[in-house]
Amino acid sequence: MSDEPREEGQGPDAYTRRVLEQGLSRRSFLGRAAGGAAAVGLFGMGASPALAAAVKEPKAEGFATSTDGGATLTFLPKPKPIRDREISETLTFDVVVVGAGASGVPAALSAAEHGAKVAVVQKAPFALSQGNTGSGIDLAASEKAGVEALVARLIADSNHRCDPKLIRQWAYHSGEAVRWVIDRAKQGGATVVDQGSPAQRAILKVNGYSMGYVTSFFGPKPYTTGDGMRALAKTAEKAGVKFFFQMPAVQLVQGRSGEVQGVIARGHDGKYRKFLAKKGVILATGDYQNNRAMSDYFIPDVKHLERKQMDRTGDGFALAYWAGGVFEPIGHTKMLHDFDAGPASMCDMPFLAVDRKGRRFVNETVEMSLLNNYLKDAENAGHYSQVFDADYMTQAATWPGKLVPPDGLKNYMPDEPGPKKGVFESQVNTHKAGTLEELARKLEVDPATLVATVRRYNEVVASGKDSDFGKPASFLAPILKAPFYGIHRRVRVSAICSGMLVDEHHQALNADGKPIKGLFLVGNLGGGFYGGVDYPLTVFGLSLGRCYTFGYLTGRHVARL
Amino acid sequence: MTIHIPSRILGFGLAGLLAASLGAAPAARTSKHAARGVTCVQCHGKSGKPAAVPFRQCQGCHDPADLAARTTQAKPTNPHQNRHYGTQTDCTRCHHEHKASENLCLPCHTRFTFKVP
Ligand SMILES: Cc1cc2nc3c(=O)[nH]c(=O)nc-3n(C[C@H](O)[C@H](O)[C@H](O)COP(=O)(O)OP(=O)(O)OC[C@H]3O[C@@H](n4cnc5c(N)ncnc54)[C@H](O)[C@@H]3O)c2cc1C
Ligand code: HEC
Ligand code: HEC
Ligand code: HEC
Ligand code: HEC
Repeated sequence: MSDEPREEGQGPDAYTRRVLEQGLSRRSFLGRAAGGAAAVGLFGMGASPALAAAVKEPKAEGFATSTDGGATLTFLPKPKPIRDREISETLTFDVVVVGAGASGVPAALSAAEHGAKVAVVQKAPFALSQGNTGSGIDLAASEKAGVEALVARLIADSNHRCDPKLIRQWAYHSGEAVRWVIDRAKQGGATVVDQGSPAQRAILKVNGYSMGYVTSFFGPKPYTTGDGMRALAKTAEKAGVKFFFQMPAVQLVQGRSGEVQGVIARGHDGKYRKFLAKKGVILATGDYQNNRAMSDYFIPDVKHLERKQMDRTGDGFALAYWAGGVFEPIGHTKMLHDFDAGPASMCDMPFLAVDRKGRRFVNETVEMSLLNNYLKDAENAGHYSQVFDADYMTQAATWPGKLVPPDGLKNYMPDEPGPKKGVFESQVNTHKAGTLEELARKLEVDPATLVATVRRYNEVVASGKDSDFGKPASFLAPILKAPFYGIHRRVRVSAICSGMLVDEHHQALNADGKPIKGLFLVGNLGGGFYGGVDYPLTVFGLSLGRCYTFGYLTGRHVARL
Repeated sequence: MTIHIPSRILGFGLAGLLAASLGAAPAARTSKHAARGVTCVQCHGKSGKPAAVPFRQCQGCHDPADLAARTTQAKPTNPHQNRHYGTQTDCTRCHHEHKASENLCLPCHTRFTFKVP
């Protein structure tokens, strides 16, 4: 089974055309900044007036500011090249990978397995990533019509704004790639299993067609893919890959015609080292959630929301941008989750949900992964609580999801003594109380407000009709009987999933839609795989599965150049 | 009511912290360093322009591994040996010399309430 493309017309596809037209590149910026005194839009003449007005004329230093003054593109100015006499050491490889995370480590190992001499420069003191589940399609167990149906579903999940050829590439190569990651990580001593199709219960049939999956699981918590990538890095070291830790990349080395020839990184000793790459540089630095300028500019939705990662300052975005790369247009895709405060299997169950004050705020059939959209103000900042009473095991028995009985809930209660299992102990936040007031205090909401909310909710339940939010009657259960339970969740930015324009080889494209020689982008830095408001949970573990797959394919591709 | 969110809760780090006050005489915190005769130059170097102190400068006197071994009993977790950085967390993300120290971990781990000296 393969993803042989159907008839393509001449020139770039619709996705690429849109990014070239509306995305942000150095050329589009400089071209206009030089243009003159009038307020000129960053997005060019063809952009809508609203968009053009969103950006004030860039100042001489090359900063652009949004009209509310809140967002500044401080990363725009390209720094002066570091001179050769500032370089303490120059090393030469075939392939240089920047970033040892979920896409970088697979890229490095894959390149090495295909004969390349590989270096990885990594900002952190060791390989680092997050999450547990990374998924692919088991082609042998799937009907082709099912694969295509899932591709169509994922494109729709992205509001039809993604690049279909990349989705299809994941679909037809992820099974092989995820199996490879499992195998190689095991060789490095990882605790990993293939949970297979049972982990993807909701998509065993898509549009009636049968599907099978490869579902890698590094866990249980607190073990994660971070540990998994460290194990994979051991396998990579055995295969000859050289790792350089605490060695953030700061600049690319470019030739006269802009081709990327290597990377300059700064060591822990403060000295610069040059890593020349004969075949190519693969940037795999993750997202930019800790870069305020980039975040405020490209995804103002998350301005007040807390972060889950550190040091994801979008370094690869800046590097690729300086080299001529193109950012996907404003309105990037975000991932905000809390699977940890209480059982993950209960996070989408439509119990009463209250905001940080204690007010009901939503029809609770909205999934946890979307609730950030209701809680993005500074006051709520992603916090909400699910509330239920002593009868939840019977009242919610038929709801979607999986109930954890009271005894199991203790594993998620910080106030319960005893060791916890399979959770991040510091993140659990489930509570039990004899009164609603006491529960409110534990959930950090206003007691009087919560009591009033529950009173009103019980009225709605008694009437049999949710006249406040329209939730189906089958999901209306009263909150009457002690003990009362609450799960205080806080959805935080796990990842930002939009990136920079690439082609099917994950090679960066410039503002003309031409490949930038020697520059490849994988992981969340690579664009085209999403496009919706929120990351979709149709395929559980799509994000890591995509990172592994594109790392695996790109490492191989660059090694063979 | 609006809740004030310090920017560190968003995880944006320390950029710009120094920009404003370079050269100004820092408020002298009652510091063990001063008491033990550690001079300005030993942290800031001889350039005469005090700025952010690189991590390796602290490590010249404090070995992170030894330090981590000394604080294994710290509750609820060892700040000097953690999941995200091992022993290599930049000291100045918690300890400050001229102002109150802060707790890097607290915004994300609300029960990691240790006091940073
Ligand atoms: C708590 C949490 C749970 C998650 N759970 C899941 C899950 O179960 N399933 C799923 O599919 N997704 C999950 N995700 C999302 C997933 O972890 C990310 O989408 C994925 O890790 C992104 O991979 P990446 O390779 O792009 O970046 P990362 O894995 O973040 O790796 C980037 C690497 O680059 C390094 N780096 C950064 N800048 C530089 C530089 N200048 N020079 C050198 N190195 C640099 C960083 O140190 C880092 O190691 C989760 C995310 C979080 C935060
Ligand atoms: C133990 C190391 C250390 C010593 C000793 C030290 N400093 Fe600092 N200094 C720092 C660090 C670290 C910073 C950066 C701010 C921070 O992280 O707290 C800093 C910042 C500064 C700044 C920038 C402004 C500010 O307050 O942030 C000035 C000025 C300064 N120091 C002056 C001095 C002078 C003068 C002395 C001697 C009296 C001195 N420092 C001694 C570590 C030190
Ligand atoms: C020139 C050597 C030197 C340098 C450089 C140095 N320190 Fe120290 N530090 C000391 C000494 C000596 C002590 C006192 C030890 C004691 O009394 O046990 C100390 C104590 C400390 C303490 C304990 C303070 C307390 O109140 O208990 C902290 C925290 C600390 N240093 C942090 C730092 C940081 C952060 C840096 C880098 C910005 C740094 N040090 C750089 C020598 C140094
Ligand atoms: C996450 C915040 C954090 C970071 C980062 C951090 N520390 Fe600390 N440090 C603490 C806390 C909390 C304590 C008090 C520990 C305790 O209660 O035993 C402490 C205590 C110390 C002490 C006194 C130790 C003793 O023997 O009593 C020294 C010295 C010190 N730190 C130096 C450093 C140096 C040097 C670094 C960088 C290598 C560093 N710290 C990084 C939080 C931090
Ligand atoms: C930007 C938010 C953030 C900051 C700041 C942060 N952490 Fe974490 N930490 C996380 C997240 C998210 C997890 C769980 C997922 C993972 O593995 O990254 C975690 C996991 C952990 C775990 C294992 C989880 C458990 O409960 O068993 C420990 C231990 C930990 N962190 C310690 C620290 C320490 C110590 C600091 C301060 C030096 C710190 N963290 C700072 C977000 C953060």
